[in-house]
Amino acid sequence: MHAVAEAAGGLRVLIVSTDPAHSLGDAFDTTLTATPGRLRASLDAVELDAPRAFTRWLADHRRPLGEILEHGTWLDREDVDALLDLSVPGVDELMGILEIDRLARGERKARKARQEKYDLIVVDTAPTGHTLRLLSAPETVAAVAEVLGDLQQEHRLIREQLARVGRPEAADRLIAVLADQARETAARLRDTDQTAFVWVTLPEELSLAEAGDGIAALERAGITVREVVVNRVLPDGGPCPICDRRRSDEAKVIAAIRRRFGRGRTVRIVPAAIKEPRGLTALASLARRRAEGLGLRAKDTKKPDRLRTQRVEIGQQPLAFSPKPFAEASLLFFGGKGGVGKTTVAAAVALWLARADRQRRVLLLSTDPAHSLADVFRAEIGDTARSIPGGPPNLAVRELDAAHALATRRAQFESALDEIAAAIGVEGGGGAIGTSELMRLAPPGIDELFGVLGVVDARGEYDVIVVDTAPTGHALRLLEMPEAAREWMQVLLRVLLKYRSLVRPGQLAAELVELSRSIRELIALLRDAKTTRFIAVTRAAELPRRETARLLTRLRRLHLAVSAIVANALTLAPRRCARCRAVRAAERRELTSLRKVCGGRCAIIQTPLAAPPPRGVAALNRWSKAWLAEP
Amino acid sequence: MFILDSLLIGSLRFVLDKVIAAAETEAQDDSALREQLLEAQMRLELGEISEEEFAAIERDVLIAIREIKGRQQGPISMSPDDKITGVDIQSYDESEK
Repeated sequence: MHAVAEAAGGLRVLIVSTDPAHSLGDAFDTTLTATPGRLRASLDAVELDAPRAFTRWLADHRRPLGEILEHGTWLDREDVDALLDLSVPGVDELMGILEIDRLARGERKARKARQEKYDLIVVDTAPTGHTLRLLSAPETVAAVAEVLGDLQQEHRLIREQLARVGRPEAADRLIAVLADQARETAARLRDTDQTAFVWVTLPEELSLAEAGDGIAALERAGITVREVVVNRVLPDGGPCPICDRRRSDEAKVIAAIRRRFGRGRTVRIVPAAIKEPRGLTALASLARRRAEGLGLRAKDTKKPDRLRTQRVEIGQQPLAFSPKPFAEASLLFFGGKGGVGKTTVAAAVALWLARADRQRRVLLLSTDPAHSLADVFRAEIGDTARSIPGGPPNLAVRELDAAHALATRRAQFESALDEIAAAIGVEGGGGAIGTSELMRLAPPGIDELFGVLGVVDARGEYDVIVVDTAPTGHALRLLEMPEAAREWMQVLLRVLLKYRSLVRPGQLAAELVELSRSIRELIALLRDAKTTRFIAVTRAAELPRRETARLLTRLRRLHLAVSAIVANALTLAPRRCARCRAVRAAERRELTSLRKVCGGRCAIIQTPLAAPPPRGVAALNRWSKAWLAEP
Repeated sequence: MFILDSLLIGSLRFVLDKVIAAAETEAQDDSALREQLLEAQMRLELGEISEEEFAAIERDVLIAIREIKGRQQGPISMSPDDKITGVDIQSYDESEK
């Protein structure tokens, strides 16, 4: 909407999606690719394909990169090729930031053709946690440049002092370009004249907490948030116990947003439409209304009505859903688009599993860097597994904090890096890598790596592990991580074996063997439909449904069993309210489409909308009784 | 000729000493064997050897390690000055547990 509005205002606009699970094409009701395509005059759009962009980037820079590695280590061409062919964790964020930089500068070809670059680039980022990783990617690129510089240093000295060649070679130029790009992008992100950050949220308590954490993290990183958009706010309508309660709850959240984030920022309200605005015309009309300031002021200034604060649960009739998709599995993944209620559903199912069998040790693990478990349970939760006050004693909950895990295992990682450095013949041991910025950062991809390690570690201790994943794109990255990690370990093991006469394999080799075996077991477990199930959580609306369909295709390609789709927060029993009835009708149509997505291969679980959303153990148990048969 | 002979024998002796020292170290020290086992584990993870081949290597290495341990503990020997003054016996009753 923002991009359409600015393009209508005469600017040349490019809209870029960096979320690995793109839905920009869905929003414009068109197919977008990795090369900018024209939507209308002065508006282009592109959905980045990070792995492909990385392959292209690597093809352009393979020779100098290979030379740096060959000069700085005793690895030969074969080893270097094997290393360069590995998939890189966090490639979406690293390439995302480099691609935005490339597009901002204007492609070289375009500059040659004397075309000017775009006036404005609108970036549609991945959900919270990974946006924070994207924005810290310049620091990671800078750290990589620093490590490469260290590796190149000795060769550079030899060239300068012995061969008396002062002219930088391709490798030196690459290092300089990377360092420059990192510096410039980091500066541009923090330059309020060039960059504005718009935070988009929902009028829900959970989203409010996430916005609070996210905006604080951005401000700490020196990135200014200028505007907060509250999306899908229930507009005014006739009296209805459901809608009234929701309006009152939303008004409270909006008031809190204004109070907490309103100072010095614009707060915009976008009303919920029964049919999501899709396509240029719908978005342009929304943009026009925004420009005219019409119809977007859902009465957020209204004071919450005291008479309407009783709890309303909609569609309380028990669906007596047989919990087959959950029972008997030892590894359950919950995934889906941002904001569909993954965490709430995962928490309710984890509680149910623990109640169903008190002997069963259940771990609920959140791998989304923007955690919501603590807010859903209304309890203090951290990086170490703990039980929830008032919850079953056989349920432990953990919010994985990759940065914290990296910091606490820093000594272990440094000694591992030392061994790797020694094995590949890096001068001065692991100093180049170990003491570099890389160890102080939480580089992109780290959440997925530690997510996998977390599951590996927990397998011995728990009978069932319920994983609350980050939204779609990064849930897929998490599930791809075991294969990627195994490839890395294989290359490392091969290098350690090859140079064992120079450096004896030590602690690292033993640990790698152990880890490689655990991950091999995990991969087998993931592919076993008896033990591992994926539950896709969605809303009965077009955009989430389309994303779910793509998610299922990708999961099947990964040989993962999808046992159920949860259509969350449905208006199951609309009363006389016209809006609720219209919503119900739209949801019914979507459910029919969802069944097609499932193709009879999974169950469709319908959960009722609850106002307010279920928070805390008691409320979650009450809510799940409406859609899960009692144990 | 004598000088040449003594040189030859001398260096031969030097080499032999080294070989014996290395063999003794190997006989006393199981670290080389442990490395051999680790290497086999690495090869197994890389798919360079099969489970059966690994099991065979593991068996040989474990036997060799056991031999070294046996040699290190050695037979019990007593000097003529040693005297047995008593025997310490600890009994352990399963039912008391």
